[in-house]
Amino acid sequence: MIRQAQGIKTFRVYAIVLLALLHPLNLERALAEFPETIILPSPPLTFQTAPGSEIASSYCLICHSAEYVYIQPPHSRATWEEIVKKMKHAFGCPIPDKHIPTVVDYLFNQNTIQPTTQLKKRRNNTPPITRPNENPINGKVLYKTYCINCHGSEGKGDGPIGQSLIPPAADLTATADKPDRALLKVIRHGRPGTAMPSWKGNLSDSEIHEVLSYVRTLSQ
Amino acid sequence: MENKQIPNHVNDSNALTRRGFLKAGIMLGGSAIFGTRIGSAETPSAITLPFDRGRRPLIAFPQKRPLMVMTTRPPQLETPFHVFNESIFTPNDAFFVRWHLANIPTHIDLNEFRLTIRGQVKTKLTLSLDTLKNDFEPVEMAAVCQCGGNSRGFFEPRVPGGQWGHGAMGNAKWTGVRLKDLLEKAGVKDDAVQVRFDGLDKAVADVTPDFRKSLNVEEVLRQEVMVAYAMNGEPLPYLNGYPLRLVIPGWYASYWIKALNDIEVLNAIDQDFWMKQAYRLPADPCGCIEPGQKLRATVPINKMTVRSFITNVQDNATVKSGHPVTLKGIAFDQGYGIDQVLFSINGGKQWQQSTLGEDYGNFSFRPWEARFTPIAGTTYHLQCLAINRIGESQRWNARWNPSGYLRNVIETVSVKAV
Repeated sequence: MIRQAQGIKTFRVYAIVLLALLHPLNLERALAEFPETIILPSPPLTFQTAPGSEIASSYCLICHSAEYVYIQPPHSRATWEEIVKKMKHAFGCPIPDKHIPTVVDYLFNQNTIQPTTQLKKRRNNTPPITRPNENPINGKVLYKTYCINCHGSEGKGDGPIGQSLIPPAADLTATADKPDRALLKVIRHGRPGTAMPSWKGNLSDSEIHEVLSYVRTLSQ
Repeated sequence: MENKQIPNHVNDSNALTRRGFLKAGIMLGGSAIFGTRIGSAETPSAITLPFDRGRRPLIAFPQKRPLMVMTTRPPQLETPFHVFNESIFTPNDAFFVRWHLANIPTHIDLNEFRLTIRGQVKTKLTLSLDTLKNDFEPVEMAAVCQCGGNSRGFFEPRVPGGQWGHGAMGNAKWTGVRLKDLLEKAGVKDDAVQVRFDGLDKAVADVTPDFRKSLNVEEVLRQEVMVAYAMNGEPLPYLNGYPLRLVIPGWYASYWIKALNDIEVLNAIDQDFWMKQAYRLPADPCGCIEPGQKLRATVPINKMTVRSFITNVQDNATVKSGHPVTLKGIAFDQGYGIDQVLFSINGGKQWQQSTLGEDYGNFSFRPWEARFTPIAGTTYHLQCLAINRIGESQRWNARWNPSGYLRNVIETVSVKAV
């Protein structure tokens, strides 16, 4: 329907000319279709859960989406090690040296998987619930694994990475007045324009609710 | 400003069977169709490039039709190849996208936006978009913008990096002002060596090197280098650099800084990461090494190699025998202009002249076409070979370098006549 798209464009041109003829002052308004703001889509896939995925998610996804790994042709483990070290030393990834072998193994293993299985969306069998469940204990464990690097142990956005991000990691202690659905959406889908990735590939829907229930305790 | 399109001399839809197009690898839940059918029930979900890990979902980003998504954040979007057969100028909503850093501009207030020219100049300039448009002579030029890693996915052995097919390129009519005029107004000091260009995109972590690129002063004072505020007669899409983009015809796209807001004249060679360490080529004239060989001296990536493509027939397509088939394609180089495009139907054993189409300028895609009459049961290995006006031609054997740059080997499209 490219032809159709062109048809619409032609129609627009006619509409602009017509408006201009009817009322010259309308011309500028008619031309001012350009969006003030664009909203970028969230990445369609994240890292698949496997040993090391939580560390890879915490560090790699700060700067780029998981597709960067899944589009790669098979590389040797040595090449992956070179890539991870380049991310640390050239681009400033805050990954500690002790985690590098884990991430290299994870990326090397992911790279052997055919992307067709990769690209399948993880299905959440748990139906969405409107309130977070009452299990902040599990949520705390998950928070310490996935969130603490950026949001910090008390959720103030002051984790080891949090303040060096542009924009800085969110202060979760200031989210008390945000409705659950807004926070769930950010955890599930990430926040465009920030380092906050989508977690729906790594966390099940009930785990996402558990994280939220723990985040709620931070602002108390 | 009208987009001129290649005249459709021949309606070749009869010569190429639909089935031929169906093999293009455009998947629709198991079946395949040719082209992106926006808004129809048959919207394809992905295009699979002919190399390992080549599946690319088709997703519409803001101001874009569904394009092949290589990565979402930062966005890297490839133009589906059939677009190059539809018009000699690549539509803005289909033009490829490649950002390096994730914090890209998604909102720009033109009341606040300023382009600064500073450094080794007599007068620092701070220009609004209106000042730029009103105080300087507008110029227009057709030019190809091509990623240095275009076609990287076809490198053998494969190399790390963005795995592009052939669609990380586009041809547009750029409108803007001469960079030379801006620099003359600011007054470049005698000790100027390079000029560094920076845009509004920012890294996520403040320790990541900011993406900015530098060029020698004599290079940027060329007549055709411009600061563009429009492509194909419209404001640049956000994802292609709204509101201003450096256009440096003939050079690879990494220098075409998007959302350009800072021009700094330097009195020494730029030592930044993106010049000194990234986007480097082997220093020998070929820009290549043998796979596995150690990379020694390197130079910054620079001007484009000469290339050509057949655009209206896809690999593994079927053509109808007994009727003349018109092959259509495009050719381009770094700005000497295309002198001739040869084509072969037998994998390069014999070559014939093609007919060049309208000349939109030395930096533009140059359309060409050729005819042959297939005989039933024969498989044809179709090739095209562009030669520019200083006699440079495409390569017969693919060059290799560890970053996957400069591909310009003669490409082959095999078709079977039925």
